[in-house]
Amino acid sequence: MNQLEDQLAVICFQPDEDWQHVMILDEVICQKCKTKQCLTFCPSSVFHESIEAKQPIMVLYKQCVECGGCRLICDNIDFSYPRGGYGVTFLEG
Amino acid sequence: MLKHWYQAKKIIASENKKNIEIDTSNVKKYDVIVVGAGPAGASAAYFMAKQGIDVLLLERGPFPGAKICGGTSLIAEHTHKLFPNFWDECHCERIVMQQAYWIMTEDSLLSTSFQSLKLAAAPYNRFTVKRRVLYQWLVDKAISAGATFQCNYKVTEVLFDGSQAIGVQIAPPQKKQFLADIIVLADGANSMVAEKSNLVPRVSPQNISLYVKETISLPASIIEERFQLACGYGSVIGLLGYPTAGFNGTSSIHTFQDSININVGMTISDFSTSGIRPYELLSRIKKHPFIQPFLAGGTVVEYGASVIPEGGYYAIPEIVHPGLMIIGDAASLVNGTHGINLAMWSGFFASQAAYESKKTRDFSAKKLFLYRTLLDESFVMQDLKANAKIAKLQRDLPYLFDLYSKIAAETAFQISKVYTMPKKAKRIFIFKKITSMQPLLKMASDIWKVIKVVRG
Repeated sequence: MNQLEDQLAVICFQPDEDWQHVMILDEVICQKCKTKQCLTFCPSSVFHESIEAKQPIMVLYKQCVECGGCRLICDNIDFSYPRGGYGVTFLEG
Repeated sequence: MLKHWYQAKKIIASENKKNIEIDTSNVKKYDVIVVGAGPAGASAAYFMAKQGIDVLLLERGPFPGAKICGGTSLIAEHTHKLFPNFWDECHCERIVMQQAYWIMTEDSLLSTSFQSLKLAAAPYNRFTVKRRVLYQWLVDKAISAGATFQCNYKVTEVLFDGSQAIGVQIAPPQKKQFLADIIVLADGANSMVAEKSNLVPRVSPQNISLYVKETISLPASIIEERFQLACGYGSVIGLLGYPTAGFNGTSSIHTFQDSININVGMTISDFSTSGIRPYELLSRIKKHPFIQPFLAGGTVVEYGASVIPEGGYYAIPEIVHPGLMIIGDAASLVNGTHGINLAMWSGFFASQAAYESKKTRDFSAKKLFLYRTLLDESFVMQDLKANAKIAKLQRDLPYLFDLYSKIAAETAFQISKVYTMPKKAKRIFIFKKITSMQPLLKMASDIWKVIKVVRG
């Protein structure tokens, strides 16, 4: 976990405080979901397991690197790109 | 409280409704709107503007290339034909003089490497470039040719009049609409604009790969020493086998001026079903005993991830619609390690179709189909067609990369190892060793399948 934190620390982010671009559509589906592929799939660990039974997945959208893969592995994830100018900025190619 | 919620919802609903209404009174109409300022979009905008087309180029990032990452090599001949002597204008990191493949297992590395002075002189073969620099250069060219460029504009969907595309909707905070005769979608691998506008189906997770990368900074002299390069020259190395932990996928190392880019990727469905964390896969490679010395002492300056369409020819969606063309990665025009060059060419072909279309003021799909025809007749589609079955082969033989890199490494080991047994006995021993890893008939059938795909 620490290793990813170090990796995320060097990325340049412009987080959008007013609008969340990755969301869970229906918490009930997550409660029943057995595989929870989003937890391991995300390259920047946007999805975290939460202790609350009602809301089993926590979405840390501010550390999203906008690959958009999550929307393809799970229909319950509502992903769209952040608003213009916000989100990740890659500088090094 | 419920009442408040209801009222709030009502306001949002009415706002949404307002959005959909197209107010044409004070909106400037362009000839073409290009969505996405990547290699495809910027090239399209440049060649259109050059032919006198009034073009608007929209980008959702704060500058071109802000939203994409991954080591890149630019194919010289493909680019040179579109942008003659581009190496004088665009800042390239290194001239690729050495191309290598490393077939790896957890404790071995079998290298096939080629380097030549022929690759080091004009007209060159490949360059490593930074995406930000390349994209900015293309956009600057488009602007100086007369295109209008707007960054921080995120397009949410295409506006239609019946089935004819007539404009684009911009997300808040601008919340604007732009109108044009032709819309060109160049919004990259995860083309959500086309999908939201019901123009293409959702991409299958088997046809799209996730790549994670790290840029590791090192002094130029150390990079040149470690990779045995002359000053200003670089290498591109493909890593097979070990890096993808048993799955079909690739990893690569690109040398930049004063950094190294290492990336690894496989299909999204492999990542999701295997439960392998992408960043752990990357750090696993970095810890490999033969990779570590190359990266030692460097500091990680950037981590990132992006997706690349790898479905090949059969995954290409319908790319021409009434008043609309889809180009670049959004059209799934990626062929193995070729992507940027195909994107630029597709942008060029789209500009030709747009020009013919403007000349006759006919913006129907039939007229714009010229784009598809030009693409089909060019090397872009021909090459994609020739490699069409590779994606299926990788699905049919999920062990292909892993098993055969192990067999290759084992064979190399046994050949290198000196035994006391006689040479003839050793040959039989090696043969038995290999066939114990994969039975002879099975191997023959795999080789036959590969040959069939290569022959097309």
